[in-house]
Order: sequence, then C-alpha cells, then structure tokens
Amino acid sequence: MADRPALVACVFYKDPIAAMKWLERAFGFETTTLLTDAQGKVGHAEMEFRGAPVGIGGNWSGPQLGGARMESPASLDGAGTQFMRVQLTDGLDAHCERARAAGARITAEPEDQFYGARTYRAMDPEGHIWNFSQEVRVVSGEEMERASGLKIATSLEEAGHG
Amino acid sequence: MADWRAPLMSAVCYQDPKAAIAWLEQAFGFEISMLIEDADGTLAHSEMRFGDAVVMVGNEWTADHKSPKSIGGKNTQTVHIQITTDLDAHCERARAAGAEILVEPATQFYGDRTYRCRDPEGHIWTVAQTVQAVTREEAEAVSGLKITGWV
Repeated sequence: MADRPALVACVFYKDPIAAMKWLERAFGFETTTLLTDAQGKVGHAEMEFRGAPVGIGGNWSGPQLGGARMESPASLDGAGTQFMRVQLTDGLDAHCERARAAGARITAEPEDQFYGARTYRAMDPEGHIWNFSQEVRVVSGEEMERASGLKIATSLEEAGHG
Repeated sequence: MADWRAPLMSAVCYQDPKAAIAWLEQAFGFEISMLIEDADGTLAHSEMRFGDAVVMVGNEWTADHKSPKSIGGKNTQTVHIQITTDLDAHCERARAAGAEILVEPATQFYGDRTYRCRDPEGHIWTVAQTVQAVTREEAEAVSGLKITGWV
C-alpha cells in the first residue's frame, strides 16, 4: 500500500453493502477490498474511482472512539459532517443522468461555475452529498475575484490573518 | 483540460473554519493552498495541502452541513492520513496541539501502525504508517475476517 494518497476519506452507512452496490451503479465506483466477519458484517471496505480509493464503513461506536460516533446521515436527519468532491475528466452531464437513473437526488443540476468548472451535486440514498466537478475553462485568480466579488489568497497571512 | 486534481477529495465542515485551518497547520502540518473570502471576511472556500493530497475546509454552509460539534460529536465521514515516517512523533505533535488521542499508537494486524484522534470540533482523524508487509492469508488468520481483494 506504498502509493496510497496521503489523504483518504471513509464514508459511513447504515447498510454499507447496499451503498456499495448503489455507488457502483450510480457513479461507476469499483469495489476493491471487502473485509467481513463470520456473520457477513462489513468491517471495512474500499472502492476506487479513477484509481483513487475511498473507504466505506458501517455505523459504529465503541471504546476505540471515546465519545465519538460514526453514523450515516440517514441516522442524523440528513446532516453530514464531511462531503466528497469527485473530479471528472469529461462527460459530467452524462454522469449526472446515470446517477439520476440510479435514484440519486440531484440537488444541483449541471451548471458552469465562475471558477471554470462545470458541476452537479447528488445526494445518495442515505443522504451523503457528492459534488461532481469537471474543469471546462482555465480562469485566473484575478478573473475569479472580479466575477465573484470574493477575495482569493494562498495563505492566512496573505488574507490578513497572519 | 488540466487535470491536476485528485479524483476524490474530502470537504470538512467546521463552525469556525479559520480556527480549524490554523489548528490543522499546527497539529498535522497541513498547509493552506487556497483561501476564498467574501467582503466581510467570511470564508467561502479553502483548500489545504498535505503531501500530494488536498482537503477542503469549510463552514456549515447549508442545513445539511454540520460540524460534529453541532450534532453531539457524530461523524458521517472521516479522513485517513497516510504518512511514511515516524507515526509516534506525528501523534505527539497532534497531542501537543490539543488533539484528543482516542487510540494511542499501535501496530495493527494489517501491517500499519496507527493512532486515532479527535480535533477541537470533533472530527475524527486516523493516522497510519505502513511498517510491515502482510499477506491476505496472514491478515485473515490473525483477524478472523474474510478478506476479498487484498492487494
């Protein structure tokens, strides 16, 4: 596992096996590793998209988490604490249609953004939010600031928080 | 078109994302690579770099985006940090910055040395360093788990 990325997300579901089947069908993720106990319960699983790994787990808690809990948004009235951004190289609109056909709730339809990307946002059956993005145009920092009215910096110091 | 971005990238929600950015620099050595604010200084978007990877740090920008601090310490997604050297020193740096160490450094059956901690707003971070090569058969024998697709 020497060439794993330095940061890898793990996403928690009430029913991780159903979620993995759905992520394969809706988004084109591939299952690469599955650890199950004698009862068939998922201990840990990994999927890949364009060669990048993402962990899939079930709701869990216990002494190894102290007071923390890993829970699906489906167990939390739809709230999520982290989200995934998925970078596509092409075919964003077709990807959105595939996801919609699989039952994704499209919460933002495909649209070009001021920063040069075309994006859409989908909610999976347990309420995790996935942001899809494809670069369609190269935009300079100055152009982005003009178009958005936002201030863009590359450090806290530059933004005046040093 | 340029395709320098990783196919998958996490966005992490905080009540106070600027404090979180400063803490992530101090505790884990993440470096800010992009910071976008509106005219009032409210953070709109930010990205931090660690090795060749990027994580986005943001606020609770809709009703569905919550810091663990806002929902009783629950996490719906976590980030795993893979490092190549000195996991124990990484843990001490995080502890000194105020991380709550939930699980102290220990070597796992699958060959990684890991520790797990919680940041000031309750996000869980698992940190791992591969310290020995383990085959699927060895890992299954030690753990009692059935493993499919081990590489």
